[in-house]
Amino acid sequence: VIRVALPTGDLRRDTAALLDAAGLPIPDYAGGSRALRFPMLDGGATARVFREKDIPVQVALGNYDVGVCGLTWVEELTQRFPNHDVVRLCDLGYGSHGLWLAAAGDEAQASVRVVSEYPNIAETLARRLRLSRYRVFPVWGAAEAYPPEDADLVLISAQDAAGVEAHGLRPVARVFPGSAWLIANRRSMAAKDLSALLGPLLAHGRMPSRAPSVTPPDALTLRMAGEPPPRERLRLALPDGHAQSHTVAALQAAGVRVYGYEEGTVVRRPQIDVDGVEVKVVRPQDMPQHVAIGHFDLAITGRDWLFDHLVQFPSSPVLEVVDLGRSRYGLAAIVKDVPANTVAGAVEWWRSRSPAPIRVASEYPNIADHFARERQLGHYSVIPIAGASEGFVPEDAEILIEGIDTGSSVRANKLTVLDRFYESTNCVIANRRRPEGALGARLDAVVERLRSGAATPAAVQGG
Amino acid sequence: MLDTETQRSRGMRDLLPGEMDRVRAVEHAFAVACRAWGYREVRTPVIEPLHLFTSAGTLSPQTLDRVYSFLDWDGWSGERVVLRPDSTIPAARLYSGRLDGGRIAKLFYRQNVFRFGEDGSSREEWQCGAELIGDTGGTGDVDLIALALAALEGMKLEPAVRLSHAGIVRAVLGAAGMTPDEQARAYDRLLDGDEGVIDDVESRLPQLNAPLRLLFEVDGEGAAYIENVRSGLAGSVPALVPALDELALVVKTLEAMGARPSIHAALARSFEYYSGIVMEFDAAGRRVGAGGRYDGLVELVGGKRVPASGFALYVDPLVELMPEPDWPPRAEVRLAVVAASEAPEALAAAQAAAVQLRSARIHAEAVEGADTAPTHRLTCAADSPRYRLDGPNGEQTFDRIDDVARALEAS
Repeated sequence: VIRVALPTGDLRRDTAALLDAAGLPIPDYAGGSRALRFPMLDGGATARVFREKDIPVQVALGNYDVGVCGLTWVEELTQRFPNHDVVRLCDLGYGSHGLWLAAAGDEAQASVRVVSEYPNIAETLARRLRLSRYRVFPVWGAAEAYPPEDADLVLISAQDAAGVEAHGLRPVARVFPGSAWLIANRRSMAAKDLSALLGPLLAHGRMPSRAPSVTPPDALTLRMAGEPPPRERLRLALPDGHAQSHTVAALQAAGVRVYGYEEGTVVRRPQIDVDGVEVKVVRPQDMPQHVAIGHFDLAITGRDWLFDHLVQFPSSPVLEVVDLGRSRYGLAAIVKDVPANTVAGAVEWWRSRSPAPIRVASEYPNIADHFARERQLGHYSVIPIAGASEGFVPEDAEILIEGIDTGSSVRANKLTVLDRFYESTNCVIANRRRPEGALGARLDAVVERLRSGAATPAAVQGG
Repeated sequence: MLDTETQRSRGMRDLLPGEMDRVRAVEHAFAVACRAWGYREVRTPVIEPLHLFTSAGTLSPQTLDRVYSFLDWDGWSGERVVLRPDSTIPAARLYSGRLDGGRIAKLFYRQNVFRFGEDGSSREEWQCGAELIGDTGGTGDVDLIALALAALEGMKLEPAVRLSHAGIVRAVLGAAGMTPDEQARAYDRLLDGDEGVIDDVESRLPQLNAPLRLLFEVDGEGAAYIENVRSGLAGSVPALVPALDELALVVKTLEAMGARPSIHAALARSFEYYSGIVMEFDAAGRRVGAGGRYDGLVELVGGKRVPASGFALYVDPLVELMPEPDWPPRAEVRLAVVAASEAPEALAAAQAAAVQLRSARIHAEAVEGADTAPTHRLTCAADSPRYRLDGPNGEQTFDRIDDVARALEAS
């Protein structure tokens, strides 16, 4: 059976149209079905829907023979792992966008800060540009919101220069031309008959003379900024996405109003009705690191993301200062079709069947790694994923480390929770090094207000 | 990625006892030569901050693409660390931070570097290197080359030295109007045998009165070649003169010492951090070492501008090329000491005998290993006769361990 990885998200509609035109229609995929797996070629192939970012990883691992995704994600994998097993077959002619290096101004800190969802490409650019000192901050999203206070450069995806300028940024250069590509696993190409699928798809693709490569600008003209003056305003980070509604509730309970941060709206710099405080809205996953380096004094995030940060960086100075008690769920080890009810029992069963590493898939790669070490899984591999996680076990991973609340999704997908090992709620985090003077007093006042609105009496005072 | 048969990470090697003996023999010969030259041994950390290697003039982006860099516990700051991909840059850092008192530092090291190679090739390389940091001029270059040759001769090899000067290519490419980045790329193309780069440079230098191929396609055999290059090209590329002068001084000195260096326009790949003489060492037709002058490096890693040069010998090819080493020396008398029975008194007698014999500088093993190959066997009992010695001279019995030692020394 040929295994095909198809994208959800922006490329879904065009990919469905391509399959249709190639005589390989998947009506449910085209219709936006929430199902994750679809039969193809009268059972000769099976398609699985992934977040686009996960597709090169899945094809490289050999879990899928063929995939469709933006070439930028393939390049992101290539820059970190040049020996991976993905073959670029052809440009599918849609999903065109570019990766742009952009700045807010023309100054940079001595250690240039680069923020991007594409940290590996950003690292390559920094090396190629011969930046003598730089720091690349990977983010899950909202990279464009970071300059100028929290980044000197960003590497973002945009249609064109106008798309970059729309974020208030100065385009420096387009460094990679992205579009949807057909890719395949090298070993599958070498030894497995994929022709029933490749033939029709290749006929609809465009063969470029050469796959594009990352091209840095000839030079980067950034002046070295002087030491910034001490900040007078407290900087608070609020989350977007699923966490936003819980945060809105927590702020309301604390009597704090943030204009432009109502549920369903995304304004990156909303106004808060607390004097001397400024707010930026970013992804909750990215907050701990930016609190650690001092970009934000306070942030409201999930304790799960703080945990993920701290198991990766045990010496980080970030800590939880208030448990807001909302957005409550647990992190659990989830399996499917495994005749065991403990992790140890499951490991024993997998080991009896195969010497291959136990694959642990998770949106929390550092927690997954921590879990695997703590539970002594032995030979294991962590597969970072961006979403559509419930479809991973048992085909694409043995264990899924995932957040669960009521368990309805677990039951609906006939999954088994082996070990619920961590409880998460939303919380306020801060740097262990409390700011001095008026800024410190302001921080204490904001923390106290947020604590007063916490949903449970279990507000935690950080040390 | 694991090699499933050996459970090793790809590109990593185990060394068995015999291989390790050869490695130690190479390192020992190197250390003996270095100490005779007045060098002192240092060791730098396996993990260094990545930014040490990213400044322009240190490692090229192409080399940096192949390093093991990662975020450690302190990676929340955004700063990456790296498994040492080079030992000269850490030595320059060590000098600038710990030793920079205006004095000449003569340092040597025996340590590993890590770089991703092509599939299957080793990603961990052991090197024996020497760094001479301080204002020593051409004398320092000659002294380093002499040290490298002596170390290789100490390994019973017949080394050859190849020399160049980074200023030669830099002068020609600079005269052709190339920026430092373009020069680095053109230099790599030259080393890759891309002749198009010579045509490109010639087209940019209409004032040339001799073909550049004289420089890039002829490997010189001594000072005479340098004078030929000087007469052909120095008039149209005046910046060549200082480089040719420095090279001529070193070559003529080595020739006066009896060495026969060959001369090349372009040599080692690490073009960017070399600023003067560049050297390579061959033995039995294989490259076994390289180095050069890097006057700007100490400043680039945060120190003062201090002239410096150094070289590294590559342990892997040397281990293969070095004739059967006589180091570590193998004892002529190798004694297996065993107990006559499993009784605690007999076992204690055997252990005590082994300790006493070792203090008499006799090689004694109370547990026989696969490689012991004993020449004698001593069986120990609690009662008289306490020691029975079996060896080439037959069987002897003793009650005193001193008598055993004397009998072994006599044998």
